[in-house]
Amino acid sequence: MTFLDQARNRVRASGNPEQSRALESFEARGLPTTSDEVWRYAPLSTLSLDNYSVAAGPVPPSASTARELAGRASLVIRVHNGEVISVEGSPSGVEVTQRPAHFDERFAHDSFSQLALAMSPGVVEVVVAPGTVLEGPVLIDSTVSAGASFPLLRVVVGARSELSVVENLSGEAGALVVPLAEYVVEESATLRLGTYQDLAPDAWHVARTLATVGRDATVSQAVISLGAFYNRSRNDADLVAPGASNELRTTYLGRGHQVHDYRTRPFPGASRTTSVLLSKGAVAGESRSIYTGLIEIEKGAKKTDARQTNHNLLLSPHAHADSVPNLDIRENDVVCAHASSVGPLDELQRWYLESRGVPRSEAERLMIQGFLYEMVAALPGGVAAVIEQSLAKELVDVVSVR
Amino acid sequence: MSHLVIDELRVDVGGREVLKGLSLEMSSGEVHVIMGPNGSGKSTLAHALAGHPGYRVTGGRVSVDGVDILELAPSERVSAGLFLALQHPLDVPGVRLVDALVSAGATGDVRARMSDEASRVDLRDELLDRFINVDLSGGERKRAEMVQFGVLQPRFAILDEIDSGLDVDALGAVARRLALSTTEWGCGVLAITHFRRLLHELTPNVIHVVSAGRVVATGGPELAEQLEAEGYEPFSTLER
Repeated sequence: MTFLDQARNRVRASGNPEQSRALESFEARGLPTTSDEVWRYAPLSTLSLDNYSVAAGPVPPSASTARELAGRASLVIRVHNGEVISVEGSPSGVEVTQRPAHFDERFAHDSFSQLALAMSPGVVEVVVAPGTVLEGPVLIDSTVSAGASFPLLRVVVGARSELSVVENLSGEAGALVVPLAEYVVEESATLRLGTYQDLAPDAWHVARTLATVGRDATVSQAVISLGAFYNRSRNDADLVAPGASNELRTTYLGRGHQVHDYRTRPFPGASRTTSVLLSKGAVAGESRSIYTGLIEIEKGAKKTDARQTNHNLLLSPHAHADSVPNLDIRENDVVCAHASSVGPLDELQRWYLESRGVPRSEAERLMIQGFLYEMVAALPGGVAAVIEQSLAKELVDVVSVR
Repeated sequence: MSHLVIDELRVDVGGREVLKGLSLEMSSGEVHVIMGPNGSGKSTLAHALAGHPGYRVTGGRVSVDGVDILELAPSERVSAGLFLALQHPLDVPGVRLVDALVSAGATGDVRARMSDEASRVDLRDELLDRFINVDLSGGERKRAEMVQFGVLQPRFAILDEIDSGLDVDALGAVARRLALSTTEWGCGVLAITHFRRLLHELTPNVIHVVSAGRVVATGGPELAEQLEAEGYEPFSTLER
């Protein structure tokens, strides 16, 4: 049975016409190809959906990072293959449900999103009532089995609320994971997001997030990616009302033949909006990173302040980093800036540490960790220490094979 | 009792020979001072001993207790007992000193030992929690080098113009710390300096005058007085 046969059976069984529509939309488009500029660096020739069945394994133990994060969370949502398994904690003003997926016109041109909408077991929805302030973060401890899984998430933060959400994504080898998340941040609300992706080294991870940010509202999003063979993360923000702001920090660590493909598109659709994009990563072995940011500023989006920065550390002569920040500005009354860099570790700084008695591989680990420090430090409260420790362990492997 | 032996050391910098067969010997607990005019090779000696990538050793031998340290990686030289305090310590953004010292093998409560060493050289304790040397003044960096020295307790310490950029009080504190180390753990101190004022509180056993890449005179503290009175000129003729 081909993957599409499985998909048709599944959608028929769901009885959800919205998902049928999404599947039809996917079938009409098919998977993208590398001749499409935005998919240019994806090793799509090695991806065949027929190599996957719909993920359906038993619930595995949580990843160690998720276990540690759970101790600091005010609410823990355990998700496996996109399905809510359990919800621990019941802070007032927060509601967690799983609802049927529906077709979404905004993703009509994105094959993977259509596939996710068609195949998902439903949207995990976290709704925070207006005026709610949560102390600890909401942890979404998400695992996947071998096979294809399609976790959908929707977070709605009511007016004047403050919420942190941390997502830990891990899973078995042989996984294709296509998460699609929507964040709605209403007037004067604040949402802090942290996503820690540590999938198996052979996984395909094609993620997309879209934040809709209201008047004087703020979304601050951190995405940290260690795992997957192909890791794609498209993170968009629609700044729909005056005073809306978004901050996006993307961090990656590339090893082997990994590809980290980051795409971001904040859209300042109103006046006085702010968008800060910071991307920092290190690539070792024969891995590759791509950063493409497009900030389009419409006529009328006065007093927009948009900045994007991308710094890359090359840890091997065979690693690549492509950095393509774009600005498309049709309004005069704006402030925009972009900067990018690609380079190796500083040889003299490394020698200085060595001359203090720090062995070379340790010096490199400390320096890479130092390079990424500001990214980790910006994670929601209590989370930074856990992630930093996990990152330090991963870096020991990176520097030992150099 | 440990011995540091530098024997006919030759070093190239940027394709130019700067050290042309420099030799000296010292033992635990001794204080040796290297003096010499600008460009004579003093800093080159320090950097070459610490394995700086821009300095190429072309000849000679350097040993600590018989171990040829020129064969060792920079960090292994520290393990073998040799520590360099730099004239211009580098900053390393994102890396904290306590983590570097732990990675270097420092034992015990390293952070507490750092505080103890910092108080001896009047370095504000909160500066120790910054990333290494980031936003520190020249004088603070020198004192931070002394903190590392005190925590690592090397058998031999080479101090490249540790006195430059220090005010009189700090200079006194650094000199006293170095002098104490010679008895505290028998450290051998090799101080490179332009200035006699370091020697007011750090009494040298031996002074070496370096000129044009070689030691041209070796003597007791009286040599410093002669240099003060006559300058390096009389020594520059000795090299030929």
